[in-house]
Amino acid sequence: MTSKLNVLLIEDDKNICAFVSKFLNQNGYRVTTAHTGKEGLSLAASICPHIILLDLGLPDIDGCDVLRQIRNWSSIPIIIISARTKEHDKVDALDLGADDYITKPFGIDELMARIRTSLRHSRSNTLEKTYKALDLEINFEKRMIFLNGEQIHLTQIEYQLLTLLAENSGKVLTYNQIMSTIWGPYVDSNNQILRVNMANIRRKIEKNPAQPEYVFTEIGIGYRMLENENL
Amino acid sequence: MLGKLQDLSPKKQHIYSIIFSLLCMTIATGISSIYYYYVNENSANIALIFILFIIIISCNTRGYFYGIFCSLFTVVWFNYVYTYPVFMLNLSASGYPITFLVMTTIAVIISTLTSHLVLQSQMVKEQEHRLAEADGEKMRANLLRAISHDLRTPLSGIIGNSSMYTNGHASMCDAEKLEIVKNIQEDATWLFNMVENLLTVTRINNDDMTIKTNIESVEEVVGEAAMRVCKRHPDSSVNVDCPMDLIMIPMDAILIEQVIINLLENALKHSGKKNTVDLIVRDTPTNVIFTIRDYGNGIPEKKLNSLFDGTPYTPSQNADVLKGIGIGLVICKTIVTAHQGTIIGQNHDKGAEFVFTLPKLKEESL
Repeated sequence: MTSKLNVLLIEDDKNICAFVSKFLNQNGYRVTTAHTGKEGLSLAASICPHIILLDLGLPDIDGCDVLRQIRNWSSIPIIIISARTKEHDKVDALDLGADDYITKPFGIDELMARIRTSLRHSRSNTLEKTYKALDLEINFEKRMIFLNGEQIHLTQIEYQLLTLLAENSGKVLTYNQIMSTIWGPYVDSNNQILRVNMANIRRKIEKNPAQPEYVFTEIGIGYRMLENENL
Repeated sequence: MLGKLQDLSPKKQHIYSIIFSLLCMTIATGISSIYYYYVNENSANIALIFILFIIIISCNTRGYFYGIFCSLFTVVWFNYVYTYPVFMLNLSASGYPITFLVMTTIAVIISTLTSHLVLQSQMVKEQEHRLAEADGEKMRANLLRAISHDLRTPLSGIIGNSSMYTNGHASMCDAEKLEIVKNIQEDATWLFNMVENLLTVTRINNDDMTIKTNIESVEEVVGEAAMRVCKRHPDSSVNVDCPMDLIMIPMDAILIEQVIINLLENALKHSGKKNTVDLIVRDTPTNVIFTIRDYGNGIPEKKLNSLFDGTPYTPSQNADVLKGIGIGLVICKTIVTAHQGTIIGQNHDKGAEFVFTLPKLKEESL
Protein backbone atom coordinates (compact mmCIF):
# COMPACT_ATOMS: atom_id res chain seq x y z
CA MET A 1 0.00 0.00 0.00
CA THR A 2 1.59 3.25 -1.09
CA SER A 3 -0.51 5.80 0.75
CA LYS A 4 -2.06 5.15 4.14
CA LEU A 5 -5.81 5.05 4.51
CA ASN A 6 -7.29 7.77 6.70
CA VAL A 7 -9.61 6.75 9.51
CA LEU A 8 -11.58 9.30 11.50
CA LEU A 9 -12.55 8.04 14.94
CA ILE A 10 -15.30 10.05 16.64
CA GLU A 11 -15.49 8.71 20.18
CA ASP A 12 -15.58 10.47 23.53
CA ASP A 13 -13.97 7.73 25.63
CA LYS A 14 -10.23 8.35 25.80
CA ASN A 15 -9.33 4.74 26.59
CA ILE A 16 -11.17 3.37 23.59
CA CYS A 17 -9.67 6.08 21.37
CA ALA A 18 -6.20 5.22 22.58
CA PHE A 19 -6.34 1.50 21.96
CA VAL A 20 -8.25 1.66 18.69
CA SER A 21 -5.91 4.24 17.20
CA LYS A 22 -2.86 2.37 18.43
CA PHE A 23 -4.08 -0.82 16.83
CA LEU A 24 -5.13 0.79 13.57
CA ASN A 25 -1.77 2.55 13.35
CA GLN A 26 -0.03 -0.78 13.73
CA ASN A 27 -2.13 -2.11 10.86
CA GLY A 28 -1.18 0.64 8.49
CA TYR A 29 -4.02 3.14 8.88
CA ARG A 30 -3.62 6.79 9.76
CA VAL A 31 -6.02 7.65 12.57
CA THR A 32 -7.42 11.05 13.49
CA THR A 33 -9.54 11.22 16.64
CA ALA A 34 -12.33 13.57 17.62
CA HIS A 35 -13.86 13.57 21.08
CA THR A 36 -17.01 15.55 20.33
CA GLY A 37 -19.55 15.59 17.55
CA LYS A 38 -18.69 19.15 16.46
CA GLU A 39 -14.99 18.37 16.29
CA GLY A 40 -15.83 15.22 14.35
CA LEU A 41 -17.96 17.10 11.82
CA SER A 42 -15.29 19.72 11.11
CA LEU A 43 -12.57 17.06 10.86
CA ALA A 44 -14.70 14.96 8.53
CA ALA A 45 -14.97 17.96 6.21
CA SER A 46 -11.32 18.99 6.43
CA ILE A 47 -9.40 15.71 6.21
CA CYS A 48 -11.81 13.76 3.98
CA PRO A 49 -11.20 10.40 5.64
CA HIS A 50 -11.65 7.09 3.80
CA ILE A 51 -13.77 5.73 6.63
CA ILE A 52 -15.39 7.10 9.78
CA LEU A 53 -15.92 5.22 13.04
CA LEU A 54 -18.70 6.98 14.91
CA ASP A 55 -19.78 6.45 18.51
CA LEU A 56 -23.51 7.09 18.92
CA GLY A 57 -23.23 8.35 22.50
CA LEU A 58 -21.38 11.64 22.10
CA PRO A 59 -21.37 14.36 24.76
CA ASP A 60 -22.48 17.30 22.60
CA ILE A 61 -24.51 16.18 19.56
CA ASP A 62 -26.50 13.01 19.08
CA GLY A 63 -24.52 10.51 17.01
CA CYS A 64 -27.43 10.18 14.57
CA ASP A 65 -27.32 13.92 13.89
CA VAL A 66 -23.61 13.72 13.12
CA LEU A 67 -24.39 10.87 10.76
CA ARG A 68 -27.20 12.80 9.08
CA GLN A 69 -25.03 15.87 8.58
CA ILE A 70 -22.16 13.89 7.09
CA ARG A 71 -24.56 12.04 4.79
CA ASN A 72 -25.78 15.39 3.50
CA TRP A 73 -22.59 15.89 1.56
CA SER A 74 -20.69 12.62 1.52
CA SER A 75 -21.02 8.88 1.13
CA ILE A 76 -17.87 8.05 3.11
CA PRO A 77 -18.34 4.64 4.73
CA ILE A 78 -19.41 5.12 8.34
CA ILE A 79 -19.28 2.39 10.96
CA ILE A 80 -21.36 2.94 14.06
CA ILE A 81 -19.99 2.04 17.49
CA SER A 82 -22.77 1.42 19.99
CA ALA A 83 -23.92 -0.46 23.06
CA ARG A 84 -25.76 -3.68 22.46
CA THR A 85 -28.99 -3.09 24.34
CA LYS A 86 -29.94 -0.04 22.29
CA GLU A 87 -30.96 -1.77 19.11
CA HIS A 88 -33.27 1.08 18.11
CA ASP A 89 -30.36 3.50 17.85
CA LYS A 90 -28.51 1.04 15.67
CA VAL A 91 -31.48 0.48 13.38
CA ASP A 92 -32.04 4.23 13.10
CA ALA A 93 -28.39 4.82 12.31
CA LEU A 94 -28.32 2.08 9.69
CA ASP A 95 -31.52 3.34 8.09
CA LEU A 96 -29.99 6.83 8.05
CA GLY A 97 -27.17 5.52 5.90
CA ALA A 98 -24.53 4.11 8.20
CA ASP A 99 -22.72 1.24 6.49
CA ASP A 100 -22.36 -1.09 9.42
CA TYR A 101 -22.23 -1.19 13.18
CA ILE A 102 -20.06 -2.76 15.83
CA THR A 103 -21.10 -3.43 19.39
CA LYS A 104 -19.13 -2.35 22.45
CA PRO A 105 -17.02 -3.98 23.72
CA PHE A 106 -15.63 -5.23 20.45
CA GLY A 107 -12.67 -7.38 19.65
CA ILE A 108 -10.09 -5.69 17.52
CA ASP A 109 -10.28 -8.44 14.89
CA GLU A 110 -13.98 -7.83 14.50
CA LEU A 111 -13.37 -4.11 14.03
CA MET A 112 -10.72 -4.76 11.38
CA ALA A 113 -13.04 -7.10 9.51
CA ARG A 114 -15.83 -4.51 9.53
CA ILE A 115 -13.51 -1.78 8.31
CA ARG A 116 -12.21 -3.97 5.49
CA THR A 117 -15.72 -4.95 4.41
CA SER A 118 -16.99 -1.38 4.41
CA LEU A 119 -13.98 -0.08 2.50
CA ARG A 120 -14.33 -2.83 -0.07
CA HIS A 121 -18.00 -2.12 -0.62
CA SER A 122 -17.34 1.59 -0.99
CA ARG A 123 -14.64 0.98 -3.61
CA SER A 124 -16.21 -1.65 -5.82
CA ASN A 125 -18.45 0.42 -8.04
CA THR A 126 -19.26 -2.40 -10.40
CA LEU A 127 -21.53 -5.11 -9.11
CA GLU A 128 -19.97 -8.51 -8.70
CA LYS A 129 -21.00 -11.15 -11.20
CA THR A 130 -20.79 -14.07 -8.80
CA TYR A 131 -21.00 -14.81 -5.12
CA LYS A 132 -19.16 -17.66 -3.51
CA ALA A 133 -18.86 -18.67 0.13
CA LEU A 134 -18.28 -22.17 1.52
CA ASP A 135 -20.43 -24.44 -0.68
CA LEU A 136 -22.79 -21.77 -1.95
CA GLU A 137 -22.43 -20.10 -5.34
CA ILE A 138 -24.64 -17.51 -6.93
CA ASN A 139 -24.35 -16.44 -10.56
CA PHE A 140 -26.07 -13.05 -10.71
CA GLU A 141 -26.02 -12.86 -14.51
CA LYS A 142 -27.56 -16.27 -15.13
CA ARG A 143 -29.73 -15.95 -12.01
CA MET A 144 -28.66 -19.36 -10.78
CA ILE A 145 -27.81 -20.65 -7.34
CA PHE A 146 -25.70 -23.71 -6.62
CA LEU A 147 -25.14 -25.54 -3.37
CA ASN A 148 -22.34 -28.14 -3.57
CA GLY A 149 -22.55 -27.78 -7.35
CA GLU A 150 -26.24 -28.65 -7.44
CA GLN A 151 -28.72 -26.08 -8.57
CA ILE A 152 -31.13 -24.75 -5.94
CA HIS A 153 -34.56 -23.48 -6.93
CA LEU A 154 -35.90 -20.42 -5.21
CA THR A 155 -39.08 -18.45 -5.76
CA GLN A 156 -38.84 -15.00 -7.30
CA ILE A 157 -39.01 -13.20 -3.94
CA GLU A 158 -36.60 -15.64 -2.30
CA TYR A 159 -34.11 -15.12 -5.12
CA GLN A 160 -34.36 -11.33 -4.85
CA LEU A 161 -33.92 -11.52 -1.10
CA LEU A 162 -30.90 -13.79 -1.24
CA THR A 163 -29.16 -11.82 -4.00
CA LEU A 164 -29.80 -8.54 -2.19
CA LEU A 165 -28.02 -9.96 0.84
CA ALA A 166 -25.29 -11.51 -1.30
CA GLU A 167 -24.60 -8.24 -3.11
CA ASN A 168 -24.13 -6.64 0.31
CA SER A 169 -22.37 -9.65 1.79
CA GLY A 170 -20.62 -9.00 5.09
CA LYS A 171 -22.81 -5.97 5.74
CA VAL A 172 -25.87 -5.89 7.90
CA LEU A 173 -29.11 -4.90 6.16
CA THR A 174 -31.99 -3.74 8.35
CA TYR A 175 -35.47 -5.18 8.04
CA ASN A 176 -36.62 -1.81 6.71
CA GLN A 177 -33.95 -1.67 4.04
CA ILE A 178 -34.74 -5.18 2.85
CA MET A 179 -38.50 -4.71 2.95
CA SER A 180 -38.46 -1.46 1.02
CA THR A 181 -36.01 -2.77 -1.58
CA ILE A 182 -37.98 -5.92 -2.32
CA TRP A 183 -41.58 -5.04 -1.55
CA GLY A 184 -41.35 -1.33 -2.31
CA PRO A 185 -41.45 1.73 -0.08
CA TYR A 186 -45.12 1.46 0.83
CA VAL A 187 -45.01 -2.00 2.36
CA ASP A 188 -46.43 -2.09 5.88
CA SER A 189 -43.96 -2.28 8.70
CA ASN A 190 -44.90 -5.79 9.75
CA ASN A 191 -41.91 -7.86 8.69
CA GLN A 192 -43.43 -11.33 9.18
CA ILE A 193 -43.47 -11.90 5.43
CA LEU A 194 -39.72 -11.32 5.43
CA ARG A 195 -39.21 -13.82 8.26
CA VAL A 196 -41.26 -16.43 6.47
CA ASN A 197 -39.33 -16.00 3.22
CA MET A 198 -36.05 -16.12 5.11
CA ALA A 199 -37.13 -19.33 6.84
CA ASN A 200 -37.89 -20.87 3.42
CA ILE A 201 -34.53 -19.81 2.00
CA ARG A 202 -32.74 -21.27 5.00
CA ARG A 203 -34.55 -24.56 4.54
CA LYS A 204 -33.19 -24.69 1.01
CA ILE A 205 -29.59 -23.63 1.57
CA GLU A 206 -28.68 -24.30 5.21
CA LYS A 207 -27.91 -27.72 6.67
CA ASN A 208 -29.60 -26.71 9.92
CA PRO A 209 -31.83 -23.62 9.61
CA ALA A 210 -31.39 -23.00 13.34
CA GLN A 211 -27.59 -22.92 12.98
CA PRO A 212 -27.16 -20.95 9.75
CA GLU A 213 -23.85 -20.80 7.93
CA TYR A 214 -24.74 -18.30 5.22
CA VAL A 215 -27.40 -15.88 6.36
CA PHE A 216 -27.12 -14.70 9.96
CA THR A 217 -29.78 -12.98 12.02
CA GLU A 218 -28.94 -9.80 13.86
CA ILE A 219 -31.73 -9.82 16.40
CA GLY A 220 -33.93 -6.75 16.32
CA ILE A 221 -31.90 -5.31 13.44
CA GLY A 222 -31.80 -7.38 10.29
CA TYR A 223 -29.74 -9.94 8.39
CA ARG A 224 -26.13 -10.28 7.41
CA MET A 225 -24.79 -12.68 4.80
CA LEU A 226 -21.44 -14.42 4.93
CA GLU A 227 -18.73 -12.48 3.13
CA ASN A 228 -18.26 -13.13 -0.60
CA GLU A 229 -15.01 -15.03 -1.09
CA ASN A 230 -14.68 -13.69 -4.63
CA LEU A 231 -14.14 -10.14 -3.42
CA MET B 1 -68.36 -0.52 36.23
CA LEU B 2 -66.68 -0.39 39.63
CA GLY B 3 -63.20 -0.53 38.20
CA LYS B 4 -64.04 2.56 36.22
CA LEU B 5 -65.51 4.20 39.29
CA GLN B 6 -62.36 3.62 41.31
CA ASP B 7 -60.19 5.42 38.77
CA LEU B 8 -62.07 8.67 39.39
CA SER B 9 -61.26 11.16 42.14
CA PRO B 10 -63.45 10.91 45.31
CA LYS B 11 -65.37 14.04 44.40
CA LYS B 12 -66.16 12.73 40.95
CA GLN B 13 -67.10 9.36 42.47
CA HIS B 14 -69.72 11.10 44.63
CA ILE B 15 -71.07 13.14 41.75
CA TYR B 16 -71.27 9.96 39.70
CA SER B 17 -73.05 8.15 42.56
CA ILE B 18 -75.62 10.92 42.99
CA ILE B 19 -76.41 11.04 39.29
CA PHE B 20 -76.57 7.27 39.12
CA SER B 21 -78.92 7.03 42.10
CA LEU B 22 -81.21 9.77 40.76
CA LEU B 23 -81.34 8.05 37.40
CA CYS B 24 -82.19 4.68 38.93
CA MET B 25 -84.87 6.16 41.18
CA THR B 26 -86.41 7.94 38.20
CA ILE B 27 -86.46 4.77 36.14
CA ALA B 28 -87.92 2.81 39.06
CA THR B 29 -90.59 5.44 39.58
CA GLY B 30 -91.34 5.45 35.86
CA ILE B 31 -91.75 1.69 35.64
CA SER B 32 -93.75 1.56 38.85
CA SER B 33 -96.06 4.35 37.72
CA ILE B 34 -96.79 2.60 34.44
CA TYR B 35 -97.40 -0.63 36.33
CA TYR B 36 -99.58 1.15 38.88
CA TYR B 37 -101.58 2.88 36.16
CA TYR B 38 -102.37 -0.32 34.26
CA VAL B 39 -102.61 -2.96 37.01
CA ASN B 40 -103.36 -0.90 40.11
CA GLU B 41 -103.80 -3.88 42.41
CA ASN B 42 -100.66 -5.53 43.56
CA SER B 43 -98.50 -2.87 45.16
CA ALA B 44 -96.11 -5.54 46.49
CA ASN B 45 -94.71 -5.87 42.96
CA ILE B 46 -93.96 -2.17 42.93
CA ALA B 47 -92.04 -2.62 46.17
CA LEU B 48 -90.05 -5.39 44.48
CA ILE B 49 -89.23 -3.15 41.52
CA PHE B 50 -87.87 -0.53 43.90
CA ILE B 51 -85.86 -3.12 45.80
CA LEU B 52 -84.33 -4.29 42.53
CA PHE B 53 -83.17 -0.78 41.76
CA ILE B 54 -81.84 -0.32 45.29
CA ILE B 55 -79.66 -3.38 44.73
CA ILE B 56 -78.40 -1.91 41.45
CA ILE B 57 -77.66 1.39 43.15
CA SER B 58 -75.83 -0.26 46.05
CA CYS B 59 -73.66 -2.24 43.66
CA ASN B 60 -72.67 0.74 41.58
CA THR B 61 -72.13 3.56 44.03
CA ARG B 62 -69.48 4.43 46.53
CA GLY B 63 -69.99 3.33 50.16
CA TYR B 64 -73.18 2.50 52.09
CA PHE B 65 -74.74 5.90 52.05
CA TYR B 66 -76.49 5.98 48.67
CA GLY B 67 -78.08 2.55 49.03
CA ILE B 68 -79.48 3.21 52.50
CA PHE B 69 -80.61 6.70 51.66
CA CYS B 70 -82.43 5.47 48.58
CA SER B 71 -84.11 2.65 50.50
CA LEU B 72 -85.41 5.05 53.16
CA PHE B 73 -86.51 7.43 50.45
CA THR B 74 -88.22 4.57 48.66
CA VAL B 75 -90.28 3.64 51.72
CA VAL B 76 -91.57 7.18 52.08
CA TRP B 77 -92.04 7.64 48.34
CA PHE B 78 -93.82 4.26 48.08
CA ASN B 79 -96.18 5.23 50.86
CA TYR B 80 -96.79 8.64 49.37
CA VAL B 81 -97.46 7.65 45.77
CA TYR B 82 -98.51 4.05 45.47
CA THR B 83 -100.59 3.30 48.57
CA TYR B 84 -104.05 4.50 49.45
CA PRO B 85 -104.59 7.34 50.04
CA VAL B 86 -102.56 8.36 47.04
CA PHE B 87 -100.25 11.40 47.39
CA MET B 88 -100.49 11.37 51.16
CA LEU B 89 -98.30 9.92 53.85
CA ASN B 90 -100.33 7.43 55.83
CA LEU B 91 -98.71 4.97 58.15
CA SER B 92 -101.83 3.76 59.90
CA ALA B 93 -103.87 1.91 57.22
CA SER B 94 -104.33 -1.74 58.15
CA GLY B 95 -101.45 -4.03 57.11
CA TYR B 96 -99.38 -1.19 55.72
CA PRO B 97 -97.18 -0.57 58.75
CA ILE B 98 -95.88 -4.13 58.50
CA THR B 99 -95.25 -3.80 54.76
CA PHE B 100 -93.31 -0.62 55.37
CA LEU B 101 -91.38 -2.06 58.24
CA VAL B 102 -90.42 -5.18 56.29
CA MET B 103 -89.59 -3.17 53.19
CA THR B 104 -87.38 -0.78 55.14
CA THR B 105 -85.54 -3.67 56.75
CA ILE B 106 -85.08 -5.55 53.48
CA ALA B 107 -83.91 -2.45 51.67
CA VAL B 108 -81.44 -1.49 54.36
CA ILE B 109 -80.07 -5.03 54.72
CA ILE B 110 -79.65 -5.48 50.98
CA SER B 111 -78.00 -2.17 50.51
CA THR B 112 -75.59 -2.83 53.40
CA LEU B 113 -74.84 -6.30 52.07
CA THR B 114 -74.12 -5.21 48.53
CA SER B 115 -72.07 -2.23 49.64
CA HIS B 116 -70.12 -4.58 51.84
CA LEU B 117 -69.59 -6.88 48.88
CA VAL B 118 -68.29 -4.02 46.79
CA LEU B 119 -65.89 -3.01 49.54
CA GLN B 120 -64.70 -6.58 49.90
CA SER B 121 -63.99 -7.00 46.21
CA GLN B 122 -62.03 -3.76 46.37
CA MET B 123 -60.01 -5.12 49.25
CA VAL B 124 -59.28 -8.35 47.40
CA LYS B 125 -58.06 -6.35 44.43
CA GLU B 126 -55.78 -4.27 46.63
CA GLN B 127 -54.48 -7.40 48.28
CA GLU B 128 -53.64 -8.91 44.90
CA HIS B 129 -51.88 -5.74 43.86
CA ARG B 130 -49.85 -5.79 47.07
CA LEU B 131 -48.90 -9.44 46.52
CA ALA B 132 -47.74 -8.71 42.98
CA GLU B 133 -45.68 -5.83 44.32
CA ALA B 134 -44.15 -8.08 46.93
CA ASP B 135 -43.23 -10.58 44.21
CA GLY B 136 -41.46 -7.86 42.28
CA GLU B 137 -39.71 -6.77 45.47
CA LYS B 138 -38.59 -10.32 46.12
CA MET B 139 -37.20 -10.65 42.61
CA ARG B 140 -35.31 -7.40 43.00
CA ALA B 141 -33.94 -8.50 46.36
CA ASN B 142 -32.78 -11.80 44.88
CA LEU B 143 -31.08 -9.96 42.05
CA LEU B 144 -29.31 -7.59 44.40
CA ARG B 145 -28.12 -10.44 46.57
CA ALA B 146 -26.77 -12.26 43.53
CA ILE B 147 -25.11 -9.11 42.19
CA SER B 148 -23.33 -8.19 45.39
CA HIS B 149 -21.90 -11.67 45.60
CA ASP B 150 -21.06 -12.20 41.98
CA LEU B 151 -19.61 -8.84 41.06
CA ARG B 152 -17.19 -8.70 43.95
CA THR B 153 -15.22 -11.77 42.93
CA PRO B 154 -14.05 -10.67 39.47
CA LEU B 155 -13.52 -7.10 40.68
CA SER B 156 -11.16 -8.30 43.40
CA GLY B 157 -9.38 -10.30 40.70
CA ILE B 158 -8.97 -7.27 38.46
CA ILE B 159 -7.84 -4.97 41.24
CA GLY B 160 -5.47 -7.57 42.68
CA ASN B 161 -3.90 -8.49 39.35
CA SER B 162 -3.49 -4.93 38.15
CA SER B 163 -1.92 -3.73 41.40
CA MET B 164 0.41 -6.72 41.27
CA TYR B 165 1.43 -5.63 37.79
CA THR B 166 1.95 -1.93 38.60
CA ASN B 167 3.97 -2.74 41.72
CA GLY B 168 6.11 -5.55 40.42
CA HIS B 169 6.27 -5.43 36.62
CA ALA B 170 10.00 -4.61 36.67
CA SER B 171 10.87 -7.97 38.15
CA MET B 172 8.43 -10.09 36.14
CA CYS B 173 9.17 -12.18 33.10
CA ASP B 174 6.99 -11.92 29.99
CA ALA B 175 5.11 -15.11 30.73
CA GLU B 176 4.11 -13.82 34.16
CA LYS B 177 2.99 -10.50 32.73
CA LEU B 178 0.95 -12.24 30.06
CA GLU B 179 -0.65 -14.44 32.70
CA ILE B 180 -1.70 -11.41 34.73
CA VAL B 181 -3.13 -9.55 31.76
CA LYS B 182 -4.99 -12.65 30.66
CA ASN B 183 -6.55 -12.98 34.10
CA ILE B 184 -7.64 -9.37 34.00
CA GLN B 185 -9.10 -9.87 30.56
CA GLU B 186 -11.02 -12.93 31.69
CA ASP B 187 -12.47 -11.21 34.73
CA ALA B 188 -13.37 -8.12 32.72
CA THR B 189 -15.11 -10.16 30.04
CA TRP B 190 -17.04 -11.94 32.71
CA LEU B 191 -18.02 -8.66 34.36
CA PHE B 192 -19.13 -7.32 31.02
CA ASN B 193 -21.39 -10.30 30.45
CA MET B 194 -22.94 -9.75 33.84
CA VAL B 195 -23.51 -6.05 33.27
CA GLU B 196 -25.06 -6.86 29.91
CA ASN B 197 -27.36 -9.27 31.69
CA LEU B 198 -28.38 -6.63 34.18
CA LEU B 199 -28.93 -4.10 31.42
CA THR B 200 -31.24 -6.43 29.56
CA VAL B 201 -33.35 -6.71 32.69
CA THR B 202 -33.97 -2.96 32.55
CA ARG B 203 -36.04 -3.73 29.45
CA ILE B 204 -38.59 -5.25 31.79
CA ASN B 205 -41.07 -2.68 33.05
CA ASN B 206 -40.27 -2.12 36.71
CA ASP B 207 -43.80 -1.45 37.93
CA ASP B 208 -45.69 -4.46 36.70
CA MET B 209 -42.94 -6.77 35.38
CA THR B 210 -44.26 -6.63 31.82
CA ILE B 211 -42.36 -6.49 28.54
CA LYS B 212 -42.86 -5.31 25.01
CA THR B 213 -43.14 -8.33 22.73
CA ASN B 214 -42.92 -8.78 18.99
CA ILE B 215 -43.72 -11.81 16.91
CA GLU B 216 -40.34 -13.47 16.43
CA SER B 217 -39.10 -16.55 14.64
CA VAL B 218 -37.90 -19.04 17.23
CA GLU B 219 -35.19 -20.56 15.03
CA GLU B 220 -33.60 -17.16 14.45
CA VAL B 221 -33.38 -16.33 18.14
CA VAL B 222 -32.15 -19.80 19.03
CA GLY B 223 -29.61 -19.79 16.19
CA GLU B 224 -28.25 -16.37 17.06
CA ALA B 225 -27.87 -17.30 20.74
CA ALA B 226 -26.07 -20.54 19.87
CA MET B 227 -23.76 -18.68 17.49
CA ARG B 228 -22.80 -16.09 20.08
CA VAL B 229 -21.99 -18.78 22.62
CA CYS B 230 -19.93 -20.74 20.07
CA LYS B 231 -17.99 -17.56 19.26
CA ARG B 232 -17.16 -17.03 22.91
CA HIS B 233 -16.26 -20.69 23.47
CA PRO B 234 -14.65 -21.86 20.22
CA ASP B 235 -13.77 -25.31 21.60
CA SER B 236 -17.34 -26.17 22.53
CA SER B 237 -20.20 -27.40 20.40
CA VAL B 238 -23.88 -26.60 20.68
CA ASN B 239 -26.29 -28.92 18.87
CA VAL B 240 -29.44 -27.09 17.96
CA ASP B 241 -32.47 -29.23 17.28
CA CYS B 242 -35.39 -27.12 16.07
CA PRO B 243 -38.57 -28.39 14.39
CA MET B 244 -38.70 -27.96 10.61
CA ASP B 245 -41.92 -25.96 10.85
CA LEU B 246 -41.41 -22.24 11.30
CA ILE B 247 -42.53 -21.24 14.79
CA MET B 248 -43.39 -17.61 15.39
CA ILE B 249 -44.27 -16.54 18.94
CA PRO B 250 -44.49 -13.23 20.79
CA MET B 251 -41.39 -12.37 22.79
CA ASP B 252 -38.73 -9.79 23.46
CA ALA B 253 -36.06 -11.45 21.33
CA ILE B 254 -33.11 -9.80 23.04
CA LEU B 255 -34.29 -10.99 26.45
CA ILE B 256 -34.97 -14.54 25.32
CA GLU B 257 -31.62 -14.63 23.55
CA GLN B 258 -30.05 -13.64 26.87
CA VAL B 259 -31.88 -16.47 28.65
CA ILE B 260 -30.61 -19.01 26.13
CA ILE B 261 -27.07 -17.61 26.25
CA ASN B 262 -27.04 -17.74 30.05
CA LEU B 263 -28.30 -21.30 30.14
CA LEU B 264 -25.88 -22.45 27.42
CA GLU B 265 -22.92 -20.79 29.11
CA ASN B 266 -23.91 -22.26 32.47
CA ALA B 267 -24.14 -25.67 30.84
CA LEU B 268 -20.69 -25.30 29.28
CA LYS B 269 -19.09 -23.94 32.46
CA HIS B 270 -20.63 -26.16 35.05
CA SER B 271 -21.06 -29.47 33.36
CA GLY B 272 -17.46 -30.49 33.89
CA LYS B 273 -15.22 -31.49 31.01
CA LYS B 274 -17.63 -32.41 28.24
CA ASN B 275 -18.14 -29.42 26.02
CA THR B 276 -21.25 -30.58 24.23
CA VAL B 277 -24.62 -29.01 24.91
CA ASP B 278 -27.94 -29.82 23.29
CA LEU B 279 -30.44 -27.07 22.66
CA ILE B 280 -33.79 -28.61 21.81
CA VAL B 281 -36.92 -26.74 20.78
CA ARG B 282 -40.29 -28.46 20.81
CA ASP B 283 -43.62 -27.14 19.65
CA THR B 284 -46.85 -27.94 21.50
CA PRO B 285 -50.31 -26.52 20.78
CA THR B 286 -50.07 -23.99 23.62
CA ASN B 287 -46.36 -23.61 24.37
CA VAL B 288 -42.91 -23.72 22.87
CA ILE B 289 -40.55 -25.75 25.05
CA PHE B 290 -36.81 -24.99 25.10
CA THR B 291 -34.51 -27.57 26.66
CA ILE B 292 -30.81 -26.93 27.33
CA ARG B 293 -29.20 -30.24 28.19
CA ASP B 294 -25.61 -30.91 29.19
CA TYR B 295 -23.76 -34.15 29.78
CA GLY B 296 -21.78 -33.39 32.90
CA ASN B 297 -21.95 -33.72 36.64
CA GLY B 298 -25.54 -32.64 37.07
CA ILE B 299 -26.93 -30.26 39.65
CA PRO B 300 -26.20 -31.15 43.29
CA GLU B 301 -29.28 -32.53 45.00
CA LYS B 302 -29.45 -29.84 47.68
CA LYS B 303 -29.21 -27.01 45.16
CA LEU B 304 -32.16 -28.17 43.08
CA ASN B 305 -34.70 -26.28 45.16
CA SER B 306 -32.88 -22.98 45.33
CA LEU B 307 -31.52 -22.66 41.79
CA PHE B 308 -33.35 -19.47 40.95
CA ASP B 309 -33.22 -17.52 44.20
CA GLY B 310 -29.81 -15.94 43.79
CA THR B 311 -27.72 -17.89 46.25
CA PRO B 312 -24.34 -18.77 44.79
CA TYR B 313 -23.77 -22.18 43.34
CA THR B 314 -20.49 -23.74 44.39
CA PRO B 315 -19.95 -27.47 44.05
CA SER B 316 -16.98 -28.53 46.12
CA GLN B 317 -14.65 -29.74 43.32
CA ASN B 318 -13.75 -26.49 41.64
CA ALA B 319 -15.38 -23.66 43.44
CA ASP B 320 -13.34 -20.80 42.02
CA VAL B 321 -14.21 -21.34 38.36
CA LEU B 322 -17.87 -21.40 39.10
CA LYS B 323 -18.86 -17.86 39.69
CA GLY B 324 -21.82 -16.12 38.32
CA ILE B 325 -24.49 -18.73 38.05
CA GLY B 326 -26.31 -16.75 40.74
CA ILE B 327 -27.24 -13.69 38.70
CA GLY B 328 -27.58 -15.59 35.46
CA LEU B 329 -30.34 -17.88 36.67
CA VAL B 330 -32.21 -15.19 38.61
CA ILE B 331 -32.25 -13.15 35.43
CA CYS B 332 -33.47 -16.12 33.38
CA LYS B 333 -36.28 -16.66 35.84
CA THR B 334 -37.18 -12.96 35.84
CA ILE B 335 -37.27 -12.83 32.05
CA VAL B 336 -39.21 -16.05 31.53
CA THR B 337 -41.73 -15.10 34.21
CA ALA B 338 -42.24 -11.72 32.54
CA HIS B 339 -43.12 -13.67 29.38
CA GLN B 340 -45.72 -15.69 31.34
CA GLY B 341 -43.54 -18.76 30.88
CA THR B 342 -42.05 -21.27 33.29
CA ILE B 343 -38.50 -22.41 33.94
CA ILE B 344 -37.16 -25.42 35.83
CA GLY B 345 -33.79 -27.03 36.38
CA GLN B 346 -33.46 -30.77 36.84
CA ASN B 347 -31.11 -33.71 36.39
CA HIS B 348 -31.41 -36.37 33.71
CA ASP B 349 -29.50 -39.67 33.36
CA LYS B 350 -26.27 -38.14 32.11
CA GLY B 351 -26.24 -34.58 33.39
CA ALA B 352 -28.34 -31.52 34.01
CA GLU B 353 -31.03 -29.86 31.97
CA PHE B 354 -32.91 -26.59 32.12
CA VAL B 355 -36.33 -26.40 30.55
CA PHE B 356 -38.24 -23.23 29.92
CA THR B 357 -41.52 -22.66 28.13
CA LEU B 358 -42.98 -19.66 26.37
CA PRO B 359 -46.71 -19.39 25.70
CA LYS B 360 -47.93 -19.16 22.13
CA LEU B 361 -50.22 -16.51 20.85
CA LYS B 362 -53.82 -17.68 20.71
CA GLU B 363 -54.86 -18.58 17.18
CA GLU B 364 -57.62 -16.01 16.81
CA SER B 365 -55.37 -13.06 17.62
CA LEU B 366 -52.68 -14.07 15.12
